[in-house]
Amino acid sequence: MILCFVEGDELSAQAVGFARKLGEVRAVTFAGAYQPAAWAQALAAQDAEAIVAPGSDRGNELLAHVGALLDQPFAANVIALDGDTVTRVRWGGSLLEEARLHGAPKLLSVAPHTQPAAEVGEVETLDAPGAGSPKVLERVEESSGGVSLRDAKVVVSGGRGVGSAEGFAIIEELAGLLGGAVGCSRVVTSAGWRPHADQVGQTGTKISADLYVACGISGATQHIAGAKGAKKILAINTDPEAPIFASADYAVIGDLHEVVPAISAELKRVRG
Amino acid sequence: MRTLVCVKRVPMTGGKMVLTADGQALETKHLGFTISPHEECAVEEAVRIGGEVVVLTLGPAEAEEQLRDCMAIGADRGILLRTDEEWDAQSTAAAIVEAIRAEEPFDLILFGNESADAAGFQVGIRVAHALGLPVVTGLKKIEVGEGRVRCERDVGGARDVYEAPLPAVLTVLEGLNLPRYPSVPGRLRAKSKPLAVVESARPAQRLEKVRLVVPEGQGKQAEILEDAAQVVAVLQSLGVA
Amino acid sequence: MCGGVFARRALFLTRLVVDAKPLDRPGDVPRRVVAEAEIVLGQKKLLQRLVPGLMHAFIFWGFIVLFPTIVLAAIDVAGGAVGTPEWYRVLSDVFAVLVLVGVATAVVIRKVVRPARFAGSHLGEADLILGLIALVVVTLLLWHEVGGIGFAWAHLIVIGVFLAYLPHSKHLHIATAAVNVWMARTRKRGRLEPLRFDVPDEELRFGVATIADLTRKEVVDAFSCTECGRCQDVCPAHATGKLLSPKLLIMGVRDQLFAQSAEPIVGNGVPEDMIWDCVTCGACVEVCPVSIEHIDHIVDLRRSRLMVDSSFPPEAEPMLRDVERASNPWGKPQTERAAWAAELGVRVLEPGDPAPEYLYWVGCAASFDERAKKSAESTAKLLQKAGVDFAILGPREGCTGDPARRMGNEYVFQAAAEQNVATLNEQGVTKIVASCPHCFNTLANEYGDFGGSYEVMHHTELLAQLVDEGRLAPVAGAGSITYHDSCYLARHNDVRMEPRKLLNVIGQPVEMKRTGKNTFCCGAGGAHMWMEERGSQINVERAREAAETGAETLAVACPFCTVMLDDGVRENGSEMRVADVATLLAESLEA
Repeated sequence: MILCFVEGDELSAQAVGFARKLGEVRAVTFAGAYQPAAWAQALAAQDAEAIVAPGSDRGNELLAHVGALLDQPFAANVIALDGDTVTRVRWGGSLLEEARLHGAPKLLSVAPHTQPAAEVGEVETLDAPGAGSPKVLERVEESSGGVSLRDAKVVVSGGRGVGSAEGFAIIEELAGLLGGAVGCSRVVTSAGWRPHADQVGQTGTKISADLYVACGISGATQHIAGAKGAKKILAINTDPEAPIFASADYAVIGDLHEVVPAISAELKRVRG
Repeated sequence: MRTLVCVKRVPMTGGKMVLTADGQALETKHLGFTISPHEECAVEEAVRIGGEVVVLTLGPAEAEEQLRDCMAIGADRGILLRTDEEWDAQSTAAAIVEAIRAEEPFDLILFGNESADAAGFQVGIRVAHALGLPVVTGLKKIEVGEGRVRCERDVGGARDVYEAPLPAVLTVLEGLNLPRYPSVPGRLRAKSKPLAVVESARPAQRLEKVRLVVPEGQGKQAEILEDAAQVVAVLQSLGVA
Repeated sequence: MCGGVFARRALFLTRLVVDAKPLDRPGDVPRRVVAEAEIVLGQKKLLQRLVPGLMHAFIFWGFIVLFPTIVLAAIDVAGGAVGTPEWYRVLSDVFAVLVLVGVATAVVIRKVVRPARFAGSHLGEADLILGLIALVVVTLLLWHEVGGIGFAWAHLIVIGVFLAYLPHSKHLHIATAAVNVWMARTRKRGRLEPLRFDVPDEELRFGVATIADLTRKEVVDAFSCTECGRCQDVCPAHATGKLLSPKLLIMGVRDQLFAQSAEPIVGNGVPEDMIWDCVTCGACVEVCPVSIEHIDHIVDLRRSRLMVDSSFPPEAEPMLRDVERASNPWGKPQTERAAWAAELGVRVLEPGDPAPEYLYWVGCAASFDERAKKSAESTAKLLQKAGVDFAILGPREGCTGDPARRMGNEYVFQAAAEQNVATLNEQGVTKIVASCPHCFNTLANEYGDFGGSYEVMHHTELLAQLVDEGRLAPVAGAGSITYHDSCYLARHNDVRMEPRKLLNVIGQPVEMKRTGKNTFCCGAGGAHMWMEERGSQINVERAREAAETGAETLAVACPFCTVMLDDGVRENGSEMRVADVATLLAESLEA
């Protein structure tokens, strides 16, 4: 039996998808405030061939606790398991490691967005008696509201091609739809269209997003130095010779003033 | 107050990953080295908290460079658990625990949330369990009070506030503070700060690396997307739509 | 009494110089004599601006010619019987009139023309001095032409007052300018003074924090400033609305020096922003009539702020860390440094390989920047075509350390320098051709201090030589071209002819307003490639000037100028093409 820790999110559905490949899945969750040590104790007490969790902050943390409690190895950010051999993601996805996992139960967190999501089905809520571990005293809402540029999972950025401060409305809309932050290039802050705090680059903010969308940005070296921390780069530019394409994973050759609103519209359409 | 900060020497990549011929490690011949941004923040925080600050690493002789960097911004001394091999998280944690037990007790033990290269997300937690200490992870704010520590963790638009009794193990994230740039007097004085080198032999690995692989598609040209529908499909596959 | 006042002040000033840090500048006497003849006697720098130049020259030459009148007047007053020879009386009268013409011109300049360069100068003090000078010569003329011991007395008394006042005023330069010119750099003008780090713990001070850290040259610099504002007039930072005025900076140092203040100079005499605004273009140093070396002051102040206080514009920190850890200022992987050369089949030197005739030092920008790479590609193709034996270091070429050094981080610079010198010496390199003027300057002028002595050429120099030798045969057809002189070529290293020689062959050159030695920076020097700019942008200003020539192409010879001016041209919405001289030359050969 494969025990799979789930929460009601996309990554959990992916973890279940992965776990099903290994055997019959028992999906479990917890109620109440998050208590990693106590929850991990409850997970460790179950009888399972493997314990799988999403490769989220909580998933990784819980399995690390389980590993410590049971004195078993834990493989984080796994994309495949074949017998004893796990394949896991290192260096933020730019390198894979094949390793033998000598442990039972096998403790595996699933690398985000590497597996198709599955129907989670029935979820059992486990009891977790408090084990005296540190717990959440309170939750403070962030006053700033928006996501910070450095921590944002998605950054939608505009450059000279945006043309004006007002032109950023379409960039803001797309960033809003993706739950991301708005960035810009140095030219934009020099022109006074956006504050320096929004600048992505060597002399601005170095981002670490999952996706960086560069709209109308030519891709100066100092800009790329701030954007290279992004896992994927999507560049939108009219000039197919723009240096940004040398660093991009995906390219749209076209006018951002048409392409960006079209993406926003398509997103809204897909979401219904 | 006595604080231990555990750090790891990692190469600065950022380009195409190239492996050694045996596929066991990154080719680092022309790469610079550093510690991860999380750990830089951990060292800075320890220095700001004050008292004695000790930095520890498990790594090759060259990792002295990273320990000296930490001493340059204010750590008092270093411990190098010397090995030429890469260790899995479980044995790394065990070695650190052994080193800690050989020292006077620390009030605070700081780690980065995860290492930049191996990203196992577990060494700090394992050390806490072995020492019977409370542990809080992923922190963006730390306030040390009388016998207690209050800390905050980002949870998407909000902060969860934790409190733990000291001694405690904390793992931190970049953004906790803005690490200072080392002064030259700091760097020069760091050269003569005490450094203990402990030869360490790697035990049997329970997460035993077989080889490293560079994923396909790295360094290839950008994929051209023709219309908004294709873009949205990509966004969905990346899990950001 | 006047003599006493003068002597007391002179003693005080001399002590300030003697107590300052000595500067190791070797003999080079012939060049120093030439500098004295040209700059002091010949008034070369001043005469670059004709009217104010002549104004000053009249007064200065007048003073020299009139000097003996002091003695003659004193003899007259003492009842002596020597008398003034007739020829000298006529000569001195002529020069006395010229001095009066000079003073009158000065009054017109100061009261009517009122150029902006005087903003912030002590104007009242200047008026007083002009008045005194006028009195000196008027009393002389009266003594000569009307006669009588009374006028001789008046002449002597005015001179006495002048003498007493002189060392308390900005007119001190009369006494110190010649000394300052003597002490100035005679060679390697682009070289900064190295610091030593192997010092005992209690001496861990680097650069200039307070007046106690100033070098003797810096002290005499401060004494010699006449507040003429020529430096301010040519400063690209000042011209684009930044706080920096090289003149006010030197005045700030001097104020603090005279006040014997133990406070840090930055934040007191000199505002913090001033020292970081500088692009180290050297326009101020070039134009200064008394050979003040402003860049040394600025870099020394930066050194202390950065290396001791860890305080500097935070946006430059990634560059400093990347130069140190990644061996290039953008943190690019060194393994990709030679990627541009792979298809061209350029030889990459491996340890132990025989040295090529020329080591091609590509530089970080031309290795990694998409726009600047074209220059490296063109240069390599041209060298191949001409059959030059060359190779590159590839991943073992590290940043020369120039941006770190100009930023004030001597420590990181020296580590980079030592590493590169070790690599170059190990490979037995003797001749280097460099694409980047900043690398060129560092390799040619600064690595000698760290055991690296090479014959270094800029690529435009080598290419011009190859054309001269007939090994490259370019043809005309590139249209109208205006050439932007890089500060580190044209000003710091006197490379001005070679790029023009090449452009003359391949197109029709048109000059910009500010050209050659008087070039205007692109905005990237002094580590400003990695700093944010306050005020309007230097590159936009320069690109506008280039567009005014009406040329189709803006030719450059520096990868940083390429990037900055290409940005500037786009910002202005101009259609002008920005290209390296090497690229234009390569195209003319392909045509």
